[in-house]
Amino acid sequence: MKNHALNKWMIQRISAVILLPLLLFFLYSLINLVNQDYTGALDFFDNYLPIIIFTLFLIFAGLHFKLGLNEIIEDYVQDERFKSILNRVVTLYSAILPIIGIISLITIIL
Amino acid sequence: MEKNSGPLSPHIQIYKWQFSSLLSITHRLTGVINTAGFFLIVLWILFLAIGPEYYNFYQKFLRSFIGKFILVGFTWSFIYHLLNGVRHLAWDFGYGYEIKTANFSGIIVLSLSIITTFFIWII
Repeated sequence: MKNHALNKWMIQRISAVILLPLLLFFLYSLINLVNQDYTGALDFFDNYLPIIIFTLFLIFAGLHFKLGLNEIIEDYVQDERFKSILNRVVTLYSAILPIIGIISLITIIL
Repeated sequence: MEKNSGPLSPHIQIYKWQFSSLLSITHRLTGVINTAGFFLIVLWILFLAIGPEYYNFYQKFLRSFIGKFILVGFTWSFIYHLLNGVRHLAWDFGYGYEIKTANFSGIIVLSLSIITTFFIWII
């Protein structure tokens, strides 16, 4: 149990470090893309680098906020049954969104 | 109600606010906000994959007043969480625990997050 919590703590920090450059790149592209039209946005993804970085961002952000939300739930929710329902919702949310994102990215480059 | 003797985090309704704790709760708050922002990001990629009608509709929304407000808000939230996250990582490695240092780094993070957001969207 203790090791389990320590692992989560470690993964949370490691994913944070990995997300630092990914988020910077992501914010940079978002700023560029907001004034682009549809074809401009497609052009942006016509390259492996943004695809790889976006994919990594989706995976690690999902992992990072899953652990973060679990921690918040652990701190503020007392009722065990409600806690476990909430944690399951979080797991689902943090898995489905990156999957949808990655499938979309694959569709874009195909 | 079942009895629960587990430890609890500070109840924010009766908590005495301090600058340090305000920044700390803001870190969590922005974390939750970023999770919601993540949904909009995935939606944006999804609409780009589906086709121009959906994508243009989304772009139009993001360029509206509410859309811009949301974008600026999420940008600040992401930047704050990123900068303050670096602060947390420094603490994890044992640096910056002095009250003076922690307050100073807090002021830096807060101002830098606002300045960066301003530079990104206003200029």
